[in-house]
Amino acid sequence: MALPLKYNFRNITVRKSSTLATAFTIGLTVGVYLMVMSLAHGIDLTLSTSGEPMNLIVLREGSTAELNSNVTRENLNDLMYLDGVEREGDKPLVSPELITLIYKARKGMSQGSNVIVRGIGLMSTKLRSGFKVDSGRMFQVGPAEAVVSKRIADRFQGLGIGDKFRIQATDYTVVGLFDAGGKAFESEIWVDVNSLASTTKRDSFVSVLMRVKDQNAMSSLAKRITDDQRLHLKALPERQFYEDQQGTASGFLKALAVFIAFIMAVGAAFAGMNTMYAAVARRTKEIGTLRVLGFSRLSILIAFVLESVVIAILGVGIGIVLALPLNFVSTGTSNFTNFSEIAFNFRVTPDLMLMALIFGVAIGFLGSLLPSIRASRYKIVDALRA
Amino acid sequence: MKFSNFILKNILRNKRRTLLTVSSLVVSLFLIITLATIITEFSRGSEQSNPLRLITRHAVSLVFVLPVAHEQKIAAVPGVKGVMKFSWFGGIYKDEKNFFANFAVDADKLREVFTELKMPDTQWKDFISDREGAIVGQKLVKLYGFSIGQRITLRSPIYDRSIEFMIRGICTGGDEKTLYFHHDYINELVPAWAKDKAGTYSIIANSAEDVPRIAQAIDSMFLNTDAPTKTETEREFAMSFQSMMGGVEKFMYGIMGAIGFSLLLIMGNTMAMTVRERTKEVGTLKALGFQRGTIAGLFVGEALAVTTVGAVIGIGGAVLLFRSIDLGLYIPNFQSFTPTPQTLVGAFVVSIVVGLISVVYSAFRVSGMTIADALRSNE
Repeated sequence: MALPLKYNFRNITVRKSSTLATAFTIGLTVGVYLMVMSLAHGIDLTLSTSGEPMNLIVLREGSTAELNSNVTRENLNDLMYLDGVEREGDKPLVSPELITLIYKARKGMSQGSNVIVRGIGLMSTKLRSGFKVDSGRMFQVGPAEAVVSKRIADRFQGLGIGDKFRIQATDYTVVGLFDAGGKAFESEIWVDVNSLASTTKRDSFVSVLMRVKDQNAMSSLAKRITDDQRLHLKALPERQFYEDQQGTASGFLKALAVFIAFIMAVGAAFAGMNTMYAAVARRTKEIGTLRVLGFSRLSILIAFVLESVVIAILGVGIGIVLALPLNFVSTGTSNFTNFSEIAFNFRVTPDLMLMALIFGVAIGFLGSLLPSIRASRYKIVDALRA
Repeated sequence: MKFSNFILKNILRNKRRTLLTVSSLVVSLFLIITLATIITEFSRGSEQSNPLRLITRHAVSLVFVLPVAHEQKIAAVPGVKGVMKFSWFGGIYKDEKNFFANFAVDADKLREVFTELKMPDTQWKDFISDREGAIVGQKLVKLYGFSIGQRITLRSPIYDRSIEFMIRGICTGGDEKTLYFHHDYINELVPAWAKDKAGTYSIIANSAEDVPRIAQAIDSMFLNTDAPTKTETEREFAMSFQSMMGGVEKFMYGIMGAIGFSLLLIMGNTMAMTVRERTKEVGTLKALGFQRGTIAGLFVGEALAVTTVGAVIGIGGAVLLFRSIDLGLYIPNFQSFTPTPQTLVGAFVVSIVVGLISVVYSAFRVSGMTIADALRSNE
């Protein structure tokens, strides 16, 4: 026969401060885990949603990032007219791209980080859904103009509309701010690819982005480009290209989250044990009475474990409340693939919260097990005489 | 001191509780020290920089390289004692997971500019006279088992080349996870765009007064050329890398704050339970004529004793652990993993403050009860 749940709830409210302290300890543990994971998760989500399902990206064979890739103009001509490349009218949906980095100071600081300047082809915006100019206008081909992602303009000095930044001998004027639905290139500055090529005295591109007709064309084109010994290129789905960067950007944070959470959980479980041992000791007589009334050892054990789990669930609630304000808060760090800034949002998602719940309940369960076993082992006579 | 026995007896009265509390303190302090060390290791580059050293890079960013002709001109700037090409090669040893820094340098100037590098004279001589020679830091030897005379190949995705080197020396001091080799040697092998170019120049000044003047002189000299420069002290240069971490560092402080707070809750809860359970005894002590301050002091002493034990084990354990296992070997970009004295002192202060705050309210409340109320307590 199980003890009614009401018994547990009543007991939890008797020692409010002790219950709260324990719940808060678990809450902080869960909260810290959630915060660090939401940071890692934000980076992952940014990268995993950046690639378009029907886009293929072409890089130099053996390159590890766009920054050390190279695609020649002859390569581009070969690529443009391959079978399977989607067209708009008679124009292939292909964008040759070039990137470089400029070092910019963060707002309110003397130091900063590298920001990617991407030279894009005319078709580029058609290959990237979600891109829209938020304020100002799109750059024109010809004059040295640039559009800057809103997030980068918010985080760095001198990148607002009307500001100029210099690459080699060219001063680019920012004419618009853009938004890209939280994708990785929302951490970039965009200019015309030919303009950037002449500015940086470079005759080749770093990558070519192309839209393919269908899923079949995707794999056959990728294979054809990668296998062509003449080209020395590799082609991969744009999605995979961004997903592959997840490890370098968020791996350290995830390892850190697990490490911190594990150690804090040990501390919280010990604290929970203290609370439960004290509760058991205080209620020794009560336990004896319950046993006399016919409740089994098992139901006593379950009752105490349940009590602790309820406190833990309360703690998880506190942890989620602590971490939730971070959701969608914008921040930035270095994406080590290109040694450049990646701006992203903290993301506290339902699956993270579920993980937090399992984690918190586990702390509550493990912390209460020993005290509850002790409670269930009391001899009736001894317990009543306490 | 005359109460120390009394405090000790009380601490040992509920051994399990004391053990659990001390264990919580130990793991939390260990965690705080670990996180603080991650932050201090991030800034080690700037903390240990040589104040006489400057770095010249391209004004736009490190992606842009500088012509080797800059070297002569920089050398002629008054106050410059030595200047050396210093180019990030980004070479990968066998697998991308084996990340370590490797730089192309002017071998004959390395010793003068990087004064912290220590190596036997014969090895310096061997390295300088062998164009294909390379020297490796002591920690790379530990990680990959490199030995003098070994041939190794580094593949650089930046230059799209695989280049073979012969290890000629093992150096200590500075970042011991770095490999250096001859700029002249790779200059012939790299693609056209990188020929006769240097990523950065490392400069050593004659004196501290020369440093700001040198930076200004170099940058104004190249201002209107194809390759304008930005010259910073080594410290500023290192800080520009730390700053790339962006929001993460501030975030880590937040996490440490949260751990400190949970420490306070754990300790506070323990002390509240302890004090409450002894309400009756407080009544007895009062009846015996003990003053309120003395009684409160006994509880405070007890809390401080518990936190001190926790601090000593937690801090001592962290020091011993990080001394026996150098985590810096395994974390990319970290030269070492050693808690700083400030971190250790900070952790101790945190534990003492936690000990004090945790007990103040309970001790004050219970010691202020009347004898009758305290004795009547049914705890």
